[in-house]
Amino acid sequence: MEDAELAKAIAGSAPALDAAAEGEFCRRFAPRVRLYGLRHLRDRHAAADLVQQVLMMTLERLRAGKLREPERLASFVLGTCRMVVMDQRRGTARRGALLEMYGIEEEAVEDAEPRVFERERLTACLEALSERERSVVITTFFQEDSKTVPGLSTGNVRVIRHRALGKLRACMEGA
Amino acid sequence: MSAEFATLVDYWFGDLPPEREGAFEEHLFGCAECTGKLQELAALGAAVRNAWRSGAVRAVISHALFDAMKKEGLRLREYLMVPGGSVNCTIAASDDFVVSRLSASLADVRRVDLVTDAGRFEDVPFDAAAGEVLVCPAPAQLKLRGAFTTRMRLLAVEDAGERVLGEYTFDHAPS
Repeated sequence: MEDAELAKAIAGSAPALDAAAEGEFCRRFAPRVRLYGLRHLRDRHAAADLVQQVLMMTLERLRAGKLREPERLASFVLGTCRMVVMDQRRGTARRGALLEMYGIEEEAVEDAEPRVFERERLTACLEALSERERSVVITTFFQEDSKTVPGLSTGNVRVIRHRALGKLRACMEGA
Repeated sequence: MSAEFATLVDYWFGDLPPEREGAFEEHLFGCAECTGKLQELAALGAAVRNAWRSGAVRAVISHALFDAMKKEGLRLREYLMVPGGSVNCTIAASDDFVVSRLSASLADVRRVDLVTDAGRFEDVPFDAAAGEVLVCPAPAQLKLRGAFTTRMRLLAVEDAGERVLGEYTFDHAPS
């Protein structure tokens, strides 16, 4: 089902709920919102909160038939992400009121089981990197907002990171 | 059209210019394939962090990572070593990591190689300003070992050849 059809199905069923359409909406957009949250907030609990808030706010809008361009549903969700993150940074919170109003179950927006990488293979693949590549990969993933590795310029870190992640990915895929 | 892996990496680590980042997010929210690829990258990052925290990986680390690990409350046993120095060392069950802080005169040094009993590791990260190389053996393996003595040597690799920056001896005993 296209985004526009999904938006119309949710709006068209009001005041009743179209559970199937709303479920599909959550499954489709929860991972995207979560990734946005992880990227901008660098905190998985904050990202999980963002998923809840954004999906609730979007559903609220859809159910009320207030989304003027249903085909732009993805853009609306992204815009809502940006607004909520800005609000969070200003210390504003709507979550409690919306949770009370709509009561979306937390499990409904939990991300799918993340891929599990085989530990021994990952360790071997990390070991196969050069010392500098391994250091950059570990440092940047451990501290994802860090761009500074002593002894290297930011440009160098970026180049090493690209090379190292390419190697790591290929190694993990058995290439 | 699906994004290149390099673009996803740049986005994830905040290396895209702001105008490209906005456009990329618009694309991402409408692209299931890119969402899947970014989830893979996020999952790989989580796996690397977990492998590191669990002590499965060895690395010569940056001061940025060293500081981040301390900030996170990981228990680090540190050995500050001067050139020619030796130390009686151990790792306790409660230690998360052992960090050997090898001090050396690193001003104007471009490349440092680390030589250990396990081999020669070329071009390791170092902090010239701090005058240190931070060596982190894999804690999980170290905790399984009996008593042993090992030596590390730092070499400055220059156009004219190489010179020894320092030699360090570790007399390890199980805790």
